[in-house]
Amino acid sequence: MVFTTAINFVRSKGPDEFWRKRKIFKIAAAFRGRSRNCYSLAIRSVHRALVYATKGRKLKKIDMANLWETRLQAACEQHNIGYDIFRESLSRLNVMLNRKAIVDLACWEPYTFKALTDVARKKSLR
Amino acid sequence: MTKVITIDKYVITFLRFQVVSIRCPCSFNSNLKTLLEMASLIRQIFTKLNIPSQFKTQNVIFKSLSAPSLVSGSHRLYSNQPTPYEVIDPDAQKNVNQEIFQQVNNQVESKNQGRLFAVVHVAGKQFKITDGDVIVIEGYWPPDVGDKITLDKVLLAGAANFTLIGQPIVQKGLVKIEATKRRKQYMRINFYRIPQTFLRINSVEIVGELNNPPEVRGLETAIF
Repeated sequence: MVFTTAINFVRSKGPDEFWRKRKIFKIAAAFRGRSRNCYSLAIRSVHRALVYATKGRKLKKIDMANLWETRLQAACEQHNIGYDIFRESLSRLNVMLNRKAIVDLACWEPYTFKALTDVARKKSLR
Repeated sequence: MTKVITIDKYVITFLRFQVVSIRCPCSFNSNLKTLLEMASLIRQIFTKLNIPSQFKTQNVIFKSLSAPSLVSGSHRLYSNQPTPYEVIDPDAQKNVNQEIFQQVNNQVESKNQGRLFAVVHVAGKQFKITDGDVIVIEGYWPPDVGDKITLDKVLLAGAANFTLIGQPIVQKGLVKIEATKRRKQYMRINFYRIPQTFLRINSVEIVGELNNPPEVRGLETAIF
Protein backbone atom coordinates (compact mmCIF):
# COMPACT_ATOMS: atom_id res chain seq x y z
CA MET A 1 0.00 0.00 0.00
CA VAL A 2 1.13 3.47 -0.75
CA PHE A 3 0.53 6.15 1.88
CA THR A 4 0.83 9.44 0.00
CA THR A 5 0.00 11.76 2.92
CA ALA A 6 2.28 10.03 5.41
CA ILE A 7 5.21 11.77 3.81
CA ASN A 8 3.76 15.20 4.63
CA PHE A 9 3.60 14.35 8.33
CA VAL A 10 7.30 13.73 8.60
CA ARG A 11 9.05 17.06 8.91
CA SER A 12 12.75 17.06 9.52
CA LYS A 13 14.69 20.19 10.35
CA GLY A 14 17.62 18.94 8.35
CA PRO A 15 20.24 16.25 8.53
CA ASP A 16 22.63 18.39 10.65
CA GLU A 17 20.46 18.80 13.71
CA PHE A 18 22.55 16.42 15.79
CA TRP A 19 25.78 18.27 15.17
CA ARG A 20 24.18 21.71 15.50
CA LYS A 21 22.95 20.76 18.95
CA ARG A 22 26.20 19.04 19.83
CA LYS A 23 28.03 22.35 19.47
CA ILE A 24 25.78 23.77 22.18
CA PHE A 25 25.97 20.71 24.41
CA LYS A 26 29.75 20.81 24.29
CA ILE A 27 29.72 24.29 25.81
CA ALA A 28 27.01 23.33 28.31
CA ALA A 29 28.75 20.15 29.42
CA ALA A 30 29.51 21.39 32.93
CA PHE A 31 26.20 23.15 33.59
CA ARG A 32 23.81 22.23 36.31
CA GLY A 33 20.69 20.07 35.98
CA ARG A 34 18.72 19.82 32.77
CA SER A 35 20.63 22.66 31.15
CA ARG A 36 23.32 20.22 30.15
CA ASN A 37 21.00 17.65 28.61
CA CYS A 38 17.93 19.39 27.26
CA TYR A 39 18.50 21.53 24.21
CA SER A 40 15.96 24.29 24.72
CA LEU A 41 17.21 24.91 28.24
CA ALA A 42 20.80 24.53 27.17
CA ILE A 43 20.78 27.19 24.47
CA ARG A 44 19.40 29.75 26.89
CA SER A 45 22.07 28.97 29.47
CA VAL A 46 24.79 28.91 26.85
CA HIS A 47 23.80 32.30 25.44
CA ARG A 48 23.83 33.88 28.90
CA ALA A 49 27.15 32.23 29.63
CA LEU A 50 28.69 33.69 26.47
CA VAL A 51 27.36 37.14 27.30
CA TYR A 52 28.87 36.92 30.78
CA ALA A 53 32.17 35.83 29.28
CA THR A 54 32.24 38.83 26.96
CA LYS A 55 31.46 41.25 29.76
CA GLY A 56 33.92 39.48 32.04
CA ARG A 57 36.88 40.09 29.76
CA LYS A 58 36.45 43.83 30.29
CA LEU A 59 35.76 43.46 34.00
CA LYS A 60 38.88 41.37 34.47
CA LYS A 61 41.04 44.19 33.23
CA ILE A 62 39.27 46.65 35.52
CA ASP A 63 39.58 44.31 38.49
CA MET A 64 43.27 43.72 37.92
CA ALA A 65 43.88 47.45 37.60
CA ASN A 66 42.08 48.06 40.89
CA LEU A 67 44.06 45.32 42.57
CA TRP A 68 47.35 46.80 41.40
CA GLU A 69 46.26 50.23 42.50
CA THR A 70 45.37 49.00 46.01
CA ARG A 71 48.61 47.10 46.34
CA LEU A 72 50.67 50.06 45.18
CA GLN A 73 48.99 52.36 47.66
CA ALA A 74 49.65 49.90 50.47
CA ALA A 75 53.28 49.49 49.42
CA CYS A 76 53.81 53.25 49.27
CA GLU A 77 52.27 53.61 52.70
CA GLN A 78 54.62 51.02 54.10
CA HIS A 79 57.55 52.90 52.67
CA ASN A 80 56.33 56.30 53.93
CA ILE A 81 55.84 57.95 50.60
CA GLY A 82 52.66 59.31 49.09
CA TYR A 83 51.20 57.32 46.22
CA ASP A 84 50.70 60.28 43.92
CA ILE A 85 54.14 61.70 44.74
CA PHE A 86 55.70 58.31 43.98
CA ARG A 87 54.01 57.94 40.61
CA GLU A 88 54.57 61.55 39.58
CA SER A 89 58.27 61.48 40.51
CA LEU A 90 58.83 58.24 38.62
CA SER A 91 57.11 59.57 35.55
CA ARG A 92 59.15 62.77 35.66
CA LEU A 93 62.29 60.69 35.86
CA ASN A 94 61.09 58.94 32.70
CA VAL A 95 60.93 55.55 34.43
CA MET A 96 58.17 53.89 32.46
CA LEU A 97 57.27 50.93 34.63
CA ASN A 98 53.56 50.20 34.61
CA ARG A 99 51.59 49.42 37.75
CA LYS A 100 51.71 45.67 37.15
CA ALA A 101 55.52 45.63 37.00
CA ILE A 102 55.93 47.93 40.01
CA VAL A 103 53.55 45.80 42.06
CA ASP A 104 55.43 42.64 41.08
CA LEU A 105 58.61 44.26 42.31
CA ALA A 106 56.96 45.46 45.50
CA CYS A 107 55.77 41.94 46.27
CA TRP A 108 58.78 39.93 45.23
CA GLU A 109 61.76 42.32 45.15
CA PRO A 110 61.43 44.52 48.22
CA TYR A 111 64.91 46.02 47.99
CA THR A 112 64.30 47.10 44.44
CA PHE A 113 61.02 48.68 45.41
CA LYS A 114 62.70 50.51 48.25
CA ALA A 115 65.29 51.79 45.76
CA LEU A 116 62.44 53.07 43.59
CA THR A 117 60.82 54.87 46.51
CA ASP A 118 64.14 56.42 47.49
CA VAL A 119 64.73 57.64 43.97
CA ALA A 120 61.22 59.05 43.81
CA ARG A 121 61.58 60.79 47.14
CA LYS A 122 64.86 62.38 46.09
CA LYS A 123 63.28 63.63 42.90
CA SER A 124 60.30 65.05 44.74
CA LEU A 125 62.52 67.01 47.10
CA ARG A 126 64.47 68.62 44.31
CA MET B 1 50.20 73.07 44.75
CA THR B 2 51.65 75.05 41.88
CA LYS B 3 51.58 78.79 42.23
CA VAL B 4 52.68 81.37 39.70
CA ILE B 5 53.24 84.93 40.83
CA THR B 6 54.59 87.90 38.96
CA ILE B 7 56.84 90.45 40.59
CA ASP B 8 58.00 93.25 38.27
CA LYS B 9 59.14 91.47 35.18
CA TYR B 10 59.89 88.12 36.75
CA VAL B 11 57.53 85.17 36.55
CA ILE B 12 58.06 82.76 39.41
CA THR B 13 56.69 79.23 39.63
CA PHE B 14 56.29 77.48 42.97
CA LEU B 15 55.70 73.89 43.87
CA ARG B 16 54.98 73.28 47.54
CA PHE B 17 56.90 76.32 48.76
CA GLN B 18 59.96 75.45 46.73
CA VAL B 19 60.93 77.78 43.97
CA VAL B 20 60.86 75.72 40.83
CA SER B 21 61.71 78.27 38.21
CA ILE B 22 62.30 81.98 37.90
CA ARG B 23 61.94 83.33 34.45
CA CYS B 24 63.12 86.80 33.48
CA PRO B 25 63.17 88.35 30.06
CA CYS B 26 66.82 89.46 30.21
CA SER B 27 69.65 86.92 30.09
CA PHE B 28 70.84 85.90 33.52
CA ASN B 29 74.47 86.81 34.02
CA SER B 30 75.99 86.75 37.44
CA ASN B 31 76.89 90.37 37.88
CA LEU B 32 76.35 92.24 41.08
CA LYS B 33 73.18 94.03 40.13
CA THR B 34 71.20 90.97 39.05
CA LEU B 35 72.18 89.01 42.15
CA LEU B 36 70.99 91.81 44.36
CA GLU B 37 67.76 91.93 42.44
CA MET B 38 67.36 88.23 43.06
CA ALA B 39 67.91 88.78 46.76
CA SER B 40 65.30 91.47 46.93
CA LEU B 41 62.93 89.33 44.93
CA ILE B 42 63.10 86.57 47.50
CA ARG B 43 62.27 89.01 50.26
CA GLN B 44 59.31 90.28 48.30
CA ILE B 45 58.10 86.76 47.63
CA PHE B 46 58.24 85.91 51.31
CA THR B 47 56.29 88.98 52.29
CA LYS B 48 53.76 88.38 49.58
CA LEU B 49 53.14 84.79 50.58
CA ASN B 50 53.45 85.40 54.33
CA ILE B 51 56.12 82.74 54.77
CA PRO B 52 58.30 83.00 57.91
CA SER B 53 61.74 84.21 57.01
CA GLN B 54 63.52 81.14 58.39
CA PHE B 55 62.37 79.14 55.39
CA LYS B 56 65.36 77.85 53.53
CA THR B 57 65.63 78.46 49.84
CA GLN B 58 67.23 75.20 48.85
CA ASN B 59 67.42 75.66 45.15
CA VAL B 60 68.75 79.17 44.97
CA ILE B 61 72.49 79.68 45.41
CA PHE B 62 73.88 83.16 45.71
CA LYS B 63 76.65 84.59 47.84
CA SER B 64 76.03 87.08 50.57
CA LEU B 65 76.76 90.60 49.37
CA SER B 66 77.22 93.87 51.13
CA ALA B 67 75.94 96.79 49.16
CA PRO B 68 75.27 99.71 51.39
CA SER B 69 75.61 102.16 48.54
CA LEU B 70 72.54 100.84 46.79
CA VAL B 71 70.17 101.48 49.68
CA SER B 72 67.98 104.47 48.99
CA GLY B 73 66.33 106.46 51.69
CA SER B 74 62.67 106.62 50.79
CA HIS B 75 61.80 103.36 49.02
CA ARG B 76 63.91 100.48 50.28
CA LEU B 77 64.08 97.90 47.56
CA TYR B 78 67.23 96.25 48.82
CA SER B 79 67.88 95.16 52.38
CA ASN B 80 71.10 95.26 54.34
CA GLN B 81 70.74 91.78 55.70
CA PRO B 82 72.94 89.13 54.19
CA THR B 83 70.77 86.73 52.23
CA PRO B 84 70.87 83.10 53.31
CA TYR B 85 72.93 80.87 51.07
CA GLU B 86 73.92 77.28 50.86
CA VAL B 87 77.18 76.03 49.47
CA ILE B 88 76.50 72.89 47.51
CA ASP B 89 79.44 70.75 46.51
CA PRO B 90 78.62 69.65 42.97
CA ASP B 91 80.96 66.68 43.16
CA ALA B 92 79.65 65.04 46.31
CA GLN B 93 76.89 63.10 44.58
CA LYS B 94 79.24 62.22 41.74
CA ASN B 95 81.74 60.59 44.08
CA VAL B 96 79.08 58.49 45.71
CA ASN B 97 77.87 57.40 42.29
CA GLN B 98 81.38 56.47 41.17
CA GLU B 99 81.80 54.31 44.25
CA ILE B 100 78.60 52.45 43.56
CA PHE B 101 79.51 51.90 39.91
CA GLN B 102 82.91 50.57 40.96
CA GLN B 103 81.38 48.09 43.38
CA VAL B 104 78.84 46.84 40.90
CA ASN B 105 81.40 46.50 38.13
CA ASN B 106 83.67 44.48 40.40
CA GLN B 107 80.82 42.21 41.30
CA VAL B 108 79.83 41.68 37.71
CA GLU B 109 83.40 40.94 36.68
CA SER B 110 83.91 38.34 39.35
CA LYS B 111 80.52 36.84 38.43
CA ASN B 112 79.47 37.24 42.01
CA GLN B 113 76.04 38.69 41.61
CA GLY B 114 73.96 35.52 41.57
CA ARG B 115 70.60 35.38 39.87
CA LEU B 116 69.58 38.45 37.91
CA PHE B 117 66.00 39.47 37.27
CA ALA B 118 64.72 42.03 34.80
CA VAL B 119 61.54 43.83 33.90
CA VAL B 120 61.21 43.60 30.16
CA HIS B 121 58.70 45.17 27.79
CA VAL B 122 57.41 42.70 25.19
CA ALA B 123 54.47 43.12 22.84
CA GLY B 124 53.04 46.02 24.79
CA LYS B 125 53.17 44.36 28.17
CA GLN B 126 55.76 44.36 30.94
CA PHE B 127 56.96 41.16 32.51
CA LYS B 128 59.24 40.56 35.45
CA ILE B 129 61.44 37.66 34.37
CA THR B 130 64.48 35.70 35.47
CA ASP B 131 66.37 32.65 34.19
CA GLY B 132 64.18 29.69 33.43
CA ASP B 133 60.88 31.56 33.35
CA VAL B 134 58.10 30.86 30.86
CA ILE B 135 55.98 33.82 29.83
CA VAL B 136 52.89 33.91 27.62
CA ILE B 137 52.62 36.53 24.90
CA GLU B 138 49.19 37.10 23.39
CA GLY B 139 48.46 38.15 19.89
CA TYR B 140 50.35 38.11 16.66
CA TRP B 141 54.12 37.82 17.22
CA PRO B 142 56.43 37.27 14.26
CA PRO B 143 59.23 35.06 15.65
CA ASP B 144 58.93 31.42 14.69
CA VAL B 145 58.98 28.28 16.83
CA GLY B 146 62.44 27.37 18.03
CA ASP B 147 63.91 30.83 17.38
CA LYS B 148 66.45 32.22 19.78
CA ILE B 149 65.58 35.77 20.68
CA THR B 150 67.23 38.55 22.68
CA LEU B 151 64.79 40.80 24.50
CA ASP B 152 66.01 44.35 24.22
CA LYS B 153 63.58 46.64 26.00
CA VAL B 154 64.83 46.17 29.53
CA LEU B 155 63.12 48.63 31.86
CA LEU B 156 64.84 47.57 35.01
CA ALA B 157 67.36 44.91 36.01
CA GLY B 158 68.47 43.76 39.41
CA ALA B 159 70.25 41.28 41.58
CA ALA B 160 70.43 40.58 45.28
CA ASN B 161 72.60 43.63 45.91
CA PHE B 162 71.78 46.20 43.29
CA THR B 163 69.15 47.40 40.86
CA LEU B 164 69.55 49.19 37.59
CA ILE B 165 66.59 51.44 36.96
CA GLY B 166 66.24 52.47 33.35
CA GLN B 167 64.89 55.79 32.15
CA PRO B 168 62.94 54.48 30.35
CA ILE B 169 65.16 51.60 29.30
CA VAL B 170 68.50 50.46 30.61
CA GLN B 171 71.44 51.21 28.32
CA LYS B 172 71.00 49.14 25.25
CA GLY B 173 73.87 46.66 25.21
CA LEU B 174 74.06 46.25 28.95
CA VAL B 175 71.54 43.56 29.86
CA LYS B 176 71.29 40.50 27.67
CA ILE B 177 68.18 38.33 27.88
CA GLU B 178 67.97 35.23 25.73
CA ALA B 179 64.75 33.38 25.03
CA THR B 180 63.43 30.52 22.92
CA LYS B 181 59.98 30.37 21.43
CA ARG B 182 57.56 27.49 21.93
CA ARG B 183 54.17 27.91 20.32
CA LYS B 184 50.73 27.01 21.72
CA GLN B 185 47.23 27.61 20.15
CA TYR B 186 44.13 28.36 22.24
CA MET B 187 40.45 28.29 21.25
CA ARG B 188 38.05 30.89 22.55
CA ILE B 189 34.37 30.23 23.02
CA ASN B 190 32.94 32.21 20.17
CA PHE B 191 35.21 30.43 17.78
CA TYR B 192 37.89 33.06 17.65
CA ARG B 193 41.44 32.04 18.37
CA ILE B 194 43.90 34.45 19.88
CA PRO B 195 47.34 33.09 19.12
CA GLN B 196 49.40 32.75 22.25
CA THR B 197 53.06 32.04 22.51
CA PHE B 198 55.09 30.54 25.27
CA LEU B 199 58.50 32.05 25.65
CA ARG B 200 61.12 30.31 27.74
CA ILE B 201 63.72 32.71 29.15
CA ASN B 202 67.13 31.09 29.00
CA SER B 203 69.32 33.64 30.69
CA VAL B 204 69.50 37.19 32.03
CA GLU B 205 73.00 38.61 32.09
CA ILE B 206 74.83 41.87 32.41
CA VAL B 207 77.33 42.48 29.65
CA GLY B 208 79.93 45.17 30.06
CA GLU B 209 80.45 47.86 32.64
CA LEU B 210 78.18 50.44 34.15
CA ASN B 211 78.46 54.12 33.27
CA ASN B 212 80.76 53.24 30.43
CA PRO B 213 78.69 53.33 27.29
CA PRO B 214 80.40 52.39 24.03
CA GLU B 215 81.50 55.31 21.89
CA VAL B 216 79.28 54.46 18.99
CA ARG B 217 75.78 53.60 20.13
CA GLY B 218 72.90 52.13 18.25
CA LEU B 219 74.86 49.31 16.69
CA GLU B 220 73.74 46.66 19.16
CA THR B 221 70.89 45.47 16.99
CA ALA B 222 72.61 46.04 13.68
CA ILE B 223 73.24 43.08 11.45
CA PHE B 224 76.18 43.37 9.10
